[in-house]
Amino acid sequence: MVNPRRLQRRRRSIANIRKITRTMELIATARFKRALERVHAASAYTQRITRIVQRLATAGLEVSHPLLEPRPEIRSARVLVLTSNRGLCGGYNANVLRAAMEHWDQCRQLPEAALEVSGKRGISFFRFRHIEPDQEYLHLAEKPTFDEVERLAEGYLEQFTSGRLDRLDVIYTRFISTAQQQVVVETLLPMSHLEEEPAPEKKAQAEEPPASRGVVPYEFLPSAASILEEIVPVSFKTRLFKCFLDAVVSEQIARMVAMKAATENAEELLKSITREYNRARQSRITSELLDVMGGVEALRGSS
Amino acid sequence: MAEALGASQEQLRCVVVTPEDTVVDQPARFVALPLYDGELGVAPLRQPLVGRLGYGQLRIRHDGRTDSYYVDGGFVEVADNVVSILTSRAVPAEKIDVEEVQQQLQAVAARKTTDAETTQQKHQAMRRLQAQLRVAQKGRTG
Repeated sequence: MVNPRRLQRRRRSIANIRKITRTMELIATARFKRALERVHAASAYTQRITRIVQRLATAGLEVSHPLLEPRPEIRSARVLVLTSNRGLCGGYNANVLRAAMEHWDQCRQLPEAALEVSGKRGISFFRFRHIEPDQEYLHLAEKPTFDEVERLAEGYLEQFTSGRLDRLDVIYTRFISTAQQQVVVETLLPMSHLEEEPAPEKKAQAEEPPASRGVVPYEFLPSAASILEEIVPVSFKTRLFKCFLDAVVSEQIARMVAMKAATENAEELLKSITREYNRARQSRITSELLDVMGGVEALRGSS
Repeated sequence: MAEALGASQEQLRCVVVTPEDTVVDQPARFVALPLYDGELGVAPLRQPLVGRLGYGQLRIRHDGRTDSYYVDGGFVEVADNVVSILTSRAVPAEKIDVEEVQQQLQAVAARKTTDAETTQQKHQAMRRLQAQLRVAQKGRTG
């Protein structure tokens, strides 16, 4: 027979776990909201950058820049993998790392390939497979600031322009909507295109009165070419920053979902264990009663 | 989209965005910007413009008040009475930590340079820090 006391103990521990997962869900929700705000703030910036690029394009400027030109031969590649510092977020890290592993297996054939990993989870994953990351970042997985990412980006730019780096790929979870996130391998250097998410921009332009645009030409200070030269690296920096922000938002969503599932599961488990406990308790009472009754019957018979 | 919400004919709308935040979004009578080679004043109904910013002071005048910010390079776009400033950092003048900037300035000034590239980096860093100091001092008196 099942020991009701043991069941009671298990029930209590599950109730505790439920409390913890529930709290973690709430924390993840709060963090997610904050992270989402930052993504929105950043997209206000990138949208304006895109608009300026479009203005440059409409001014008849040929969009060309060393950062936009693909290299004929790729000798040295850099792979940057964005994972989280903490676990308990469902398949978030596993998904990123699966894609990263695949990509890295291709890249390591190149004469010079370097692996950079952000986040404890990714670092320990690669260590376990006896792959030592060439560069590790711990401080960027929780709350990446633009200053930090900019420093990182400047390092890449410097290496790319001096020819020591031919390609930079970032593997991260792109945040599409609250219900949809996707692991992507994005090539940031050389930059394939300058304009990001062109669809909403075009719509916005169509809504504007055509008179204000067509008639008045833009003045460029100092010149369109010089602005383009400056704006391409800025665009790269913001894009890298966006990757980090997306990764943070996706992590929190993954954790929210995982913790919600865990809480629900705990509730179900609690229900079934309570039922089992009640049954065990009842059957023990019944058997004890039967014992007493049997004893009474036996005494009555003997006397 | 910003234009649709834009201000009336006599007023500007000044928006300062950094990758982390929208720092300023307010109406203005007059905006003075630090362009790469000097200051540029923008009054309502200005011709559309795209420009490169330098390190320096941004002033927004509105209702007889002048707000002063330090901006760290970037771009400006003026169109339909909306002044959009894109910069990696924008700090209100009174929030600049003068002592810290001075310390940084000393550290940079003490840096030894050997080739043209590092010399250029040093000069750029010094220009940035000096601009911050200037903005901080101006903001205090004004």
